[in-house]
Amino acid sequence: MYDELLNEDGGPREHARRLIDSLNRLGHERLLSSAERRDAIFLQQGITFDTYGPDGETRDRPFPLDLIPRLIPHDEWRQLERGIRQRVLALNRFVADVYGAAEVLRDGVVPWELVTTRAGFLREAHGIEPPGGVWCHVSGCDLVRDSDGTWRALEDNVRVPSGISYVLENRAAMSRLVPELFDEYAVRPVSDYPEGLLSALRSIAPGGAGTPTVVVWTPGPANSAYFEHAFLARRMGVELVQAGDLVVRDATCYLRTTTGLARVDAIYRRVDDAFIDPLELRPDSLLGVPGLMRAFREGNVAIANAPGTGVADDKAIYHYVPEMIRYYLAEEPLIENVPTYLLSDPDQREFVLENLDKLVVKPTGESGGAGVFVGPTAGPEDVAEQRRLVEMNPARWIAQDTVWLSTVPTMCERGPLAPRHVDLRPFAVFGESVWVVPGGLTRVAMREGSMIVNSSRGGGSKDTWVLAEDGAREPAEPDPFNPPTMPGLRQFGWTEQERQQQQARQGR
Amino acid sequence: MLARIANDLYWLGRHLVRAEHTARMLDALFQAELEALTEDPSSVAISWRSVPVLMGAGSENGAPADAEAREAVTRQLTTDERNPVSIVSCVTAAREEARTLRDTISTEMWEALNKFFLELHEPSVGTSPRTGPHSLYAFVKERCALFWGLSLSTMQRDEARSFLIAGGRTEAADMVLRMLRVALPPIRPAEDSSRELPRRDGNALALLRAVGGTQAYMRSAAAPPNAEPVAWFLLLDDDFPESVAASAEALHRSLTRADPQPEVSPPILRLRRLIADLELRRHARIAYEELPGAFREIQDELHQVEREIERHYFTREAPGELTPLRVQ
Repeated sequence: MYDELLNEDGGPREHARRLIDSLNRLGHERLLSSAERRDAIFLQQGITFDTYGPDGETRDRPFPLDLIPRLIPHDEWRQLERGIRQRVLALNRFVADVYGAAEVLRDGVVPWELVTTRAGFLREAHGIEPPGGVWCHVSGCDLVRDSDGTWRALEDNVRVPSGISYVLENRAAMSRLVPELFDEYAVRPVSDYPEGLLSALRSIAPGGAGTPTVVVWTPGPANSAYFEHAFLARRMGVELVQAGDLVVRDATCYLRTTTGLARVDAIYRRVDDAFIDPLELRPDSLLGVPGLMRAFREGNVAIANAPGTGVADDKAIYHYVPEMIRYYLAEEPLIENVPTYLLSDPDQREFVLENLDKLVVKPTGESGGAGVFVGPTAGPEDVAEQRRLVEMNPARWIAQDTVWLSTVPTMCERGPLAPRHVDLRPFAVFGESVWVVPGGLTRVAMREGSMIVNSSRGGGSKDTWVLAEDGAREPAEPDPFNPPTMPGLRQFGWTEQERQQQQARQGR
Repeated sequence: MLARIANDLYWLGRHLVRAEHTARMLDALFQAELEALTEDPSSVAISWRSVPVLMGAGSENGAPADAEAREAVTRQLTTDERNPVSIVSCVTAAREEARTLRDTISTEMWEALNKFFLELHEPSVGTSPRTGPHSLYAFVKERCALFWGLSLSTMQRDEARSFLIAGGRTEAADMVLRMLRVALPPIRPAEDSSRELPRRDGNALALLRAVGGTQAYMRSAAAPPNAEPVAWFLLLDDDFPESVAASAEALHRSLTRADPQPEVSPPILRLRRLIADLELRRHARIAYEELPGAFREIQDELHQVEREIERHYFTREAPGELTPLRVQ
C-alpha cells in the first residue's frame, strides 16, 4: 500500500513534513470542532449532494470534505499535467476522426465494430465540424496511484464530468476552517476556473458582433449535480437555462427573455447527448430543445462538450487510448493505463473468467461506479453471479487488474487519523489550448479498506494541493510599497468639545 | 429636526457602514491570501500592509512584512477597542448614537443594534479573528444588513431616515474610493509596466471581493475582471449599489428629501457638482493612467461635500478644521 503523505516507516514524506507538523500543532480537538463547523457551513450555503438511500429516497447531505489535504509536489504535477494534456488531445483527435475521415478505423488502430456499437456513438454527429476542431471542451480524467506509487489513468470522462465546483468550494472552505495549514505552503490556486471556462466558451462561439452570449444548460433542479450547474453559471456571470428557456428558429438558437428572443452563441450543456434534441435523438426526451442539432450542425451555436464525445468516454475505448496517443501524436503515453481485458475477445474472456476473484469488472457504458464488481472483496455468490452476467453479454463488460489505490490519512468518525483510499479527478478545459486546473477533485472512500470513492456511494473528498515551484511559502521579495497618502478616517462630525463651544457661542 | 439628532443619525449610518466595509475587506483579504487568487504570489492584495494606509495611517516605507502585518492589522481593525476605527469600536459608537436616538429610530432597529453590540462583546469573539475570521466577519455583515433591512420596513421615511442614509452613503463612497486608491495607485514612470499591469489585474479581483461586488460584476460586465474595467465599475456603475456614483446619487436623494430648500443648499449644490463631474468622466473615458489622479480628485471633492453637510445641517457654523484620527 502506498501512502501519499507518509513513507513506509510511518514518518512524513519530505514534502508533507510541514503539513504533519501543522496538524500536530492544531491537535485533534481543533480538527473535530472545525469539522462540525464545516457541516454547518456547507448546509447553510447549500453545498450539498443528493444521495439515494436503499429505499430510493433522496437525501440532501453536506458535501463530505475531509480536512486533511492531499499534497502533490510541483515536479510530479508537471509530469501529470503533460500526461493529461496528451490524453485530452488524443481523445479529441479521436472523436473528430470518428465523425470525420475515420482514418483511425481504416488503419485498424481501433476496431470499427467496437466504435459503432458503443452506446455513446452518435450517428447524427457524423460530418459535423465544431469550431476550432474542439469536441472535448471539458474533460475529467480519473487517475489512481498504484501500490508502488505510479500514476495510472483509470477512465476518461469527456461527456459531462462533474465535480469542479467541489474543488473550488473545498478550497474556499479549507481556507476558512483551517487557515493555519496554509501558512507553510504555497498552494497553486484553483479559483480562476470559471474565468478559464468562460473564455474557452467564448472562444468557440460562432463569430458575430459584440460579446458572445454563453449559457449553462441544466436538466433542472432535480439533477444531482444541479448545485454545480448553478455554481458555474453564477461564477461565470451567465444565465442558467433549462430546456424550456431555449428555442430554435431557422436553425438559430435563442433564449426566451422578457424582451423577446435573444440569440445564444455558446451552450455549456450538462444534459446527456441522447436527450438534447427530441427531433434527432431520443424522441421521448422532455429535457431537449427541438432543432438544436440542426443549429449546431449549421454552425450557428456552439455546444460544449460537442454531442457525440461519449464515444471516447466508453470503457472499452479506454483500452485503446495509449494506442491513440501513439497514432495521433507520435508520442509515448506519459500516464499508463491500468491493464484492461476486453471480454468480447474469447482468449481474454477465458482468462478473466478464471481469475474473477482477482480482477475488477466494469460495465462499459455506465458511470458513477454503478455495476462495478470488485473481485478481491466479493463473496463466492457474487463471483458466480458476475460470471453469469459476463457470459450473457460479454461485450458489455471489461475487466481490469485490481489497483490497490494509494491512501491518505483521513479523519474518521471516531478515533485518530487513519489511511483511506483515494483517487484523483483533474479537470482540463480545451478552448484555444488545453489548460489543466492544478489539482482536481480527490475522492476518498470513507469506509476502511473500501476502494469505492464515488460520492453517490458514500465517498468523501479532499482538497488537493498542488505545491508551487518552491513549495514553501517564502516571504516574497517585498514589493516597492508606495501607497498614496490618505486623509485620516474621521470620527463624529464634531467632538463634544466643539459642540460645547458651539453652544457657548450661541449663548453669547 | 434638532441639529444634534441629525448629526447622530448621520454618524450612526457612517459607523455601521464603516464596520461592514471593514469586515468585508478583511474577509476578502484573508480569502485572497489563502486561496492565492492569481498564480503570481506577489500580486495578491490589497496587501495587509496597505490596509492601515487605507484607514488613514501614515505610510512609512518601513511597514512590516505581510505575515506579521496580518496578525497586527486584523486585531487592530477587528477587536481592538482602543482603536477608534476597529469594527468593535465602530459598532460601539453606533450603539452609543442609537441610544440617544431611541425615540427616532424604530425599536426593532435599536434592539437589533444593541444585540449586535452585546454579542460582539462576548469573550469568544476576542479569539476568533485568529482561528476563524470568516465567521466573525460574516456575523458582522449579517447584523449590519439586519439593521438596514429593519430600517426599510419599520422606520418612517422622514427626515431622520434621510440623515441616516446620507451618513451610510457618504461612508460607502469614501471607503470604496479609499480601496480604489490603495489597490490601484499611480503608476510611476520608473515601474516596469510588464510586471505592474498583471499585478494590478490580480488586485482588481481582490478589490471586487473587498467591496462584495464580484458577482454583480460578473453578471453585468462583459470584460474579464481586470484593473481597468473593475475600476470603472466601482467608480461609475449606476446599477451596483456600492459604486461611488450610485452612493453619490443615493446621498443626493436623501439630502434633497431632508432639505427644505434643496435648490439653494450649499451641500446639495456641492454634491451636484460632484455628480456632474462623475458624469463628465464617464463620457470623457479618460486614459487608464489618469484614473488614480481622478480617484484623488473625487475623494477630495467628496470631503468638501462632507464638510458642507456638517457645516450646513449640524452646526450652521464652521466648527473649525478637524484633526483626523490616525490608526497606529
